[in-house]
Amino acid sequence: MLEWLIPAASTSADEIDWLFAVIFYTVGVWFVVAQGIFFGLIFKFRRRPGVRSLYVAGETKDEKRWISWPHYAVIACDVVLIAGAIAVWRDVKQVIPPPDETIRVIAQQWAWTFVHPGPDRQLDTPDDVVTVNELHVRNGTTYEFELTSQDVVHSFSIPVFRLKQDAVPGRMIKGWFRPTKTGTFDIACAEMCGLGHALMPAALHIESAEEHAAWLGEHTAVAAAAAGSRS
Amino acid sequence: MPPSRSSTLAIAALVISVATSGRTSLAAAQDLARGAAEYQLCAACHGDRGAGDESHGAPAIAGLPAWYLTAQLQKFRAGQRGYARGDDTGLQMRPMATSLHTDADVADVAAYVATLPPATPAATLPGDAVHGQALFAPCSACHGPDGGGNEALKAPRLAGQADWYLLAQLAKFRSGARGAHKDDVTGAQMRAMASTLVDEQAMRDVVAYVRTLAPTGGTK
Ligand code: HEC
Ligand code: HEC
Ligand SMILES: [Cu+2]
Repeated sequence: MLEWLIPAASTSADEIDWLFAVIFYTVGVWFVVAQGIFFGLIFKFRRRPGVRSLYVAGETKDEKRWISWPHYAVIACDVVLIAGAIAVWRDVKQVIPPPDETIRVIAQQWAWTFVHPGPDRQLDTPDDVVTVNELHVRNGTTYEFELTSQDVVHSFSIPVFRLKQDAVPGRMIKGWFRPTKTGTFDIACAEMCGLGHALMPAALHIESAEEHAAWLGEHTAVAAAAAGSRS
Repeated sequence: MPPSRSSTLAIAALVISVATSGRTSLAAAQDLARGAAEYQLCAACHGDRGAGDESHGAPAIAGLPAWYLTAQLQKFRAGQRGYARGDDTGLQMRPMATSLHTDADVADVAAYVATLPPATPAATLPGDAVHGQALFAPCSACHGPDGGGNEALKAPRLAGQADWYLLAQLAKFRSGARGAHKDDVTGAQMRAMASTLVDEQAMRDVVAYVRTLAPTGGTK
């Protein structure tokens, strides 16, 4: 449903959208039912000539069930929603599946640096590719990221992944994603970090395996040095 | 002496011609009032009068010629400056330049900054100015013997710039954090020159000499 507004491009996005839909429809149904009953009763017991108003204390059994039955229903719905939320939270944030590759994300005022592991899929080797403000990932690959900040608190936000994670100076925070759709999408900072906060966007390129290999080929440190251009 | 009728008329005619020429005339193409308004953002780091601020790593920009200011702002916008990992100050300046949305915004703020009187930042680094003078000889071919710059060669005025900034830029040219972008032609020329300064001491000495040169404002 959120996809009507913004594409979903990772497994986590699908799960979060599912949870969002469950909450939306559960609450939506109850909202409509409750408002229907409410306005129905207002209409049914509206003022009529010659009819005296009645004082209802809400003490008899058949009066009380107007409160207690919805109450049980709310508790039942809550259990379902909380169970769903815990399951999604566990998948999205708590358990990092075995990654195919690890990338490093470094936030600073006001730019993102990405360290890609390069063709050998290992970080801290000579073929690592370091870029500023552009992240390149392979579709269908499980990535773990190591997020740090060089100065103040930033937040690594990728709307199409429904991902948002604070970057805190002095800490390395891990997370993960698995892209499911190719294309170019936005990365933003979602935590006020100074004058340039609104001006630190980066681009996320989700590529097919072939496109990604081609990009890596052009950008390994060796190739970049030979071309004498920026990484 | 009370103004004569004819001089009042002449002033009125001048005012009208300036007011009506508007953006069609080249001389009036930059809107200083808009530039001054845009400069509010820049003042946070470069200071109210463009004198620079070492604590922000922000250079003195007051009175630099508009052509140089425009060129650098466009490089920042295009990612030809402030592109490198580790270039923290460049990465801070870059989004400030991208916040200027159009070429007219850039032209306006550059025109305004060019009107500010050049600052004379205090010395912060030791260096041997006598040795530096010898090292500066090749530099003067482009930057001028007085360090006043040369528009034809796109070389900026160096005189009156803060020593810590000049040193930092020379180091960036040498490391490739500035001037190494494939589309940055003038940066590449300066990169070659920076590599002739063999070590940190040579850079400090040449900077110490540049510090002895008095800044000249204007459009040189
Ligand atoms: C957040 C602080 C900050 C703000 C705000 C800022 N700048 Fe800068 N500016 C810097 C820093 C730091 C540098 C030095 C970059 C480097 O080290 O390469 C710089 C460099 C420059 C340069 C290059 C000067 C030279 O000699 O090459 C120009 C021109 C400039 N800024 C203009 C502006 C203008 C115009 C604005 C307002 C739109 C602005 N700056 C706003 C921090 C800032
Ligand atoms: C071939 C002409 C040329 C020579 C010779 C030259 N420069 Fe430059 N220099 C330039 C140009 C062009 C730029 C502007 C680069 C740009 O567009 O980013 C520049 C920029 C600079 C800057 C940055 C100024 C700023 O405000 O950011 C410094 C510092 C500098 N030069 C120092 C030197 C020194 C020291 C020497 C002598 C060793 C030297 N230059 C020799 C052409 C030259
Ligand atoms: Cu930020």
